[in-house]
Amino acid sequence: MPAPTLAARGVSKSFFGNAVLREVSIALQPGRIHALLGENGAGKSTLINILSGALLPDAGAVEIDGRVFRGLNPRDAHRAGIAVVQQELGLTTQLSIAENIGIGALPRRYGLIDYRGLARRARAAMDLVGLNEDLATPVGDLPLGRRQMVEIARALFREPRVLILDEPTSSLSAHEVETLTALLDRLRAKGTAILYISHRLNEVMRLCQHVTVLKDGVVTADRPIEGVEAADLVRLMVGRDTGHLFPAWTPSADRDPILQVSGLSSGVLRDIDMSIRRGEVLGIGGLVGQGQEDLLLSLYGALPASARTAEFNRQRNLPASVRRANALGLAYVPADRKREGLHLIHAIGWNLMLPSLARAFSLSLRDRSKERVLATALADRFAIKGDLTRQVRALSGGNQQKVALAKWTPAEPQVWLLNDPTRGVDVETKREIYALLRRLASEGKAIVLSSSDTPELVHLCDRVAVMREGRIVATIEREALSEGAIVAAAMGADPLRTAA
Amino acid sequence: MSAIESASLRLYWPAQRQRNRGAGGLLIVVAAFLALYAYLFPGLLSVGGVAKFAQSWLPLAMVSMAQAILMLAGGVSLAIGAMVSLGAVIAATTMAGPLGVAGGAALVMIAGLGVGAACGVIVVRLGLPAIVVTLAASFIVGGAALLILPRPGGTIPAWLSDLLAGDKPVAAWLVIAVVVFWKLYLATPLGLSLYAAGENPDAAYRAGVPVDAARILAYAVSGLLATCAGLFVAAKTGSGDPVIGEAFTLNSIAAAVLGGVGFLGGKGAMRGALAGSLLLSVMINVMYFLGFPPVAHYIAQGLIIIGAVALPEFSARRRAL
Repeated sequence: MPAPTLAARGVSKSFFGNAVLREVSIALQPGRIHALLGENGAGKSTLINILSGALLPDAGAVEIDGRVFRGLNPRDAHRAGIAVVQQELGLTTQLSIAENIGIGALPRRYGLIDYRGLARRARAAMDLVGLNEDLATPVGDLPLGRRQMVEIARALFREPRVLILDEPTSSLSAHEVETLTALLDRLRAKGTAILYISHRLNEVMRLCQHVTVLKDGVVTADRPIEGVEAADLVRLMVGRDTGHLFPAWTPSADRDPILQVSGLSSGVLRDIDMSIRRGEVLGIGGLVGQGQEDLLLSLYGALPASARTAEFNRQRNLPASVRRANALGLAYVPADRKREGLHLIHAIGWNLMLPSLARAFSLSLRDRSKERVLATALADRFAIKGDLTRQVRALSGGNQQKVALAKWTPAEPQVWLLNDPTRGVDVETKREIYALLRRLASEGKAIVLSSSDTPELVHLCDRVAVMREGRIVATIEREALSEGAIVAAAMGADPLRTAA
Repeated sequence: MSAIESASLRLYWPAQRQRNRGAGGLLIVVAAFLALYAYLFPGLLSVGGVAKFAQSWLPLAMVSMAQAILMLAGGVSLAIGAMVSLGAVIAATTMAGPLGVAGGAALVMIAGLGVGAACGVIVVRLGLPAIVVTLAASFIVGGAALLILPRPGGTIPAWLSDLLAGDKPVAAWLVIAVVVFWKLYLATPLGLSLYAAGENPDAAYRAGVPVDAARILAYAVSGLLATCAGLFVAAKTGSGDPVIGEAFTLNSIAAAVLGGVGFLGGKGAMRGALAGSLLLSVMINVMYFLGFPPVAHYIAQGLIIIGAVALPEFSARRRAL
């Protein structure tokens, strides 16, 4: 076999001490569509960033045509013919479609942009992806799906030898997906090496010839896709060894629901029916960004929402504001604790007291000694390390998360809405948080746990609702819970399907 | 190439026209004020009238552009006024001396480019907040201007003052020259990169845009425009004044904001900032002719800025619902 056009050899990468990739190798061959699969947080995006020079690996190397590159940066990668279609859109809204397609590789004449040449070549790239808009249309005028096509046209404009696509179809219509797959087939036939990241297994099995599966930053499969079954791929992505991380599960759920909504719509949410009982942990699973956060926020009164029927604590409506939600006994712990959950530059004690202060009569004076006693008790109970007068910023991620959880307990919420509470948290704190969740449930509290960590959902929850594109596509009961079941539902995979 | 094909490949001018959208309301207001001004002061519609008006507008136009470039790049400058003063004192102390007008002008430009680029390197390479760096620069540059010329003085050769600020509309031609300069700048790959680097620097970097270079160059060009504005101010008054630029810092921000240039980078266009500076200049003259007390325009300016920011914001919110 000839030298791969682009390859990673034994690359490792850590962020803040967390290993994201461990000795990962991948080789992209000309004329082949190579799928890269893995769960949320498996390290796919990091690997792409390393292959395209946006990140440098801690160890290992990137090779282009068999030549080792150290300190590869995006400009070098472009010059070598590597183009990436990013998952997050990175277009400049004020500039025209053509300028966006060309930027970073603009043709020039006498030092100025060659607008004529740009127009001709941008039009050619747009024709390939079926964009028939005027060249001069500002990108800000386009809907999301069309912008994604502009991103793809931008990559094609560079006439790449290696094309990397990170979930290119997530915002495309069925027709646009068809255009794209036909285009990728043509490029492959012309000898382009293509790396294709997608969560849609059916798409992958139809389009790709080779697959690499990542799990927790390690390659678990690197093989031709022929003869592989969708169920095998799911199995290779999941099944982490979880050891003794989780507390024993004992049923503690009531029969009657404490919170019930039907026909809930808001933001990206479409027609959600759900209910939760006292003493129950209800998991919300799915790929990242399928509406999980909007669901929690609309239950919490932080997003305007409409529902056909809603009942909470014998109230007939969803809370209309966060204040009202708190008064009704709801608490929300956001995923982004640094921005939404905590006041980083303020003292630990102050952060712990904030919800309690907000509930106190507005004009009463603060009772510092009572606050101190309460804060100290909370810190003891949650094993929050450190002097309470220190800034929260100085704490580790795990201890910060404990502050974000602990501050709500004095309010004794009946329903806890938790958004990815263990993201970026060390193992020991994870264990503590898991134990806390089950303890709250055994005390009769209801917990809605949205998580991108599938094992967590399997081991802690009474039921898991799986979301895709703003809807609950499956609700899996305790007896049927498995990582495979959740991932399969999240990806819309038919587990019996085999690649052609 | 067939006619239809070449029509669908037109890009530069259609893209320019698209950028006029959103500036429409402002252009109507500016035109109304200009018409009112011409009605109150018919002398405006003569060569001399245009010359005088252009002379009062040019410095503000230049500093507004200097500010808008940085705002487009996702920055801001609090040192614009100090840079104007620096340009004025360098011109007033060198042009009548052995360096001559050409040498003095070159020195003014080098100082603007150099100080601007230095600010840019500190902001971009060291990752410090632009507002703090340029605040510090405003003290340093302002202090340097006072060291060069502790009190108003120095001289600008009389012929240069006559040329730039006499009866001939040279200042009006200079406005056009500055606009052409900006168009050329924006027609270079590095110039256009400003928009991408300002709106989303990470994505631009990944797309291969030389983000750091584009931003540092923006700071240098901004400095150049500010010190050149200072040169013109010195020529207009015939001498240098080390604190003459002070008011320009906030006025430049006011004009850019009026023109729809956003603080978060990548939003707005230079024509907006220019129209904003024109509106401020015309408004001062109109209010003078309407018999308002000379300082009343400050209050009017404040009200107009709030209105100009609030109106598009509210209409955008209504559209979003």
